[in-house]
Amino acid sequence: MSERTTTSSEPQDWEPKVLAFLCNWCSYAGADLAGTSRMQYPPNVRIIRVPCSGRVNPIFIVEALRQGADGVLVSGCHPGDCHYLSGNYYARRRFALLQRYLEYLGVEKGRVQFSWVSASEGARFAEVVTKVVSDVKALGPSRRLNINAMPVPAVEVADGRPA
Amino acid sequence: MTLPSAVREQIIEWLKNGEIEVFIGWEAGPVPLQATPVFVRTPEEVDRLIWDPTCENNLVAFLPRYRGKKVGIMVKGCDSRAIIGLLAEAQFPRENLRIVGVSCPGVVDPKVVAEQLGVPVEDLEDASVRDGQVLVGDQGVPLEASCYALCRACDRHNPIIADVQANEEINSEPVDDPLGPVREMEALSDDECWARFAEEVSRCNLCFACRNACPLCYCNVCFVDRTQPRWFNQTTRLEDRQFYQLMRTFHLAGRCVGCGACTRACPQGVNIRLFLDKLRADVQELFAYEAGVDPEAKPPLRTYRQDDYNGFIL
Repeated sequence: MSERTTTSSEPQDWEPKVLAFLCNWCSYAGADLAGTSRMQYPPNVRIIRVPCSGRVNPIFIVEALRQGADGVLVSGCHPGDCHYLSGNYYARRRFALLQRYLEYLGVEKGRVQFSWVSASEGARFAEVVTKVVSDVKALGPSRRLNINAMPVPAVEVADGRPA
Repeated sequence: MTLPSAVREQIIEWLKNGEIEVFIGWEAGPVPLQATPVFVRTPEEVDRLIWDPTCENNLVAFLPRYRGKKVGIMVKGCDSRAIIGLLAEAQFPRENLRIVGVSCPGVVDPKVVAEQLGVPVEDLEDASVRDGQVLVGDQGVPLEASCYALCRACDRHNPIIADVQANEEINSEPVDDPLGPVREMEALSDDECWARFAEEVSRCNLCFACRNACPLCYCNVCFVDRTQPRWFNQTTRLEDRQFYQLMRTFHLAGRCVGCGACTRACPQGVNIRLFLDKLRADVQELFAYEAGVDPEAKPPLRTYRQDDYNGFIL
């Protein structure tokens, strides 16, 4: 996450960076299966393993966008399969609200996506990553919330209001 | 104006028999048209308490600091919902609380009054509220025309939890549609939404008055004050302000009772309710939950249903 995206003019061969939070018990194992089964999926995804999708604080997702991720994927166990029984149910409520809220504030639909991938669904994982990467590619580089893409604000005038 | 004698006697009785150690109310303050919070600990001080439409502060914001104490408090309709919010989150035991409720026609915004009279807000002297009029010198402004904008969309004039009711109930319909601004913003395109968000938040100067005024912002360490990890840098950059407003409002998802204390406290006039109302509308739509109504209901993000909305999952 310390990598910085280039800001002003994007080169022709721009490739999106997608950050994926995968739960240890299902989606991470699903990604592993996709790898060991030699399935092809776009290399744009950077994976962070978390104990459970319920561990993913919404601030992680927003911070990823701030630090220059072009897209964020959060993936956990299917409902009913959570290793901790209910972590993904709680996560689902938070994410449903977060996704709508980000859209409301103008973050493009498709930047932040959620999926359920089980440990046996290597092919499904490849499919999800392919879709997320192609969605993000279509949207172009992320500029909203991205601290490296924002213009420096105008100097404030004396009464404290922005000029 | 001072409280009705029956209410004063009740508060004195509570203080005398030890049911409460402190009573939090409002008293006339040094700034015109703005009452100031007062903490009454002895029966002699009870006469300082007032109620009129200049009592803007949501006193429930003080409650989390009085955990373990017995507290009496005065609440308007909107404030009473914040008490229910705290009860629902088990932040304060009901048996340690004595509540005096007042029905509120809407509280006075000195900036609006000054605008109506065409003078700087600092020049409002000898201002008072009487008989539905805000009087400044020899000029008067009707109370309805001098309220905060969000009070015009108020559908919660009457307290929904109180031990004593201090005045008559008010039954008036909201003048403005409470969800009007949210529906307007929802209809915008991504680019327009983003511009609207940036425009609103560009006025924010990160004073954290909204957080300090919020009765539900009781985290011991707020994420903006955290240093391990440090999420937030207090700079003048727009994206830091956006980050603060986004994360603070989202932390109130399913918890915001819509009292409007943040929006009234904002010295820069940022319409924070524009964002919080969206979250409240979504919580209502997705989880059929309204914060600040039922102290027994489980807050929506602390529970789940197996058949919750799953349509957004890939």
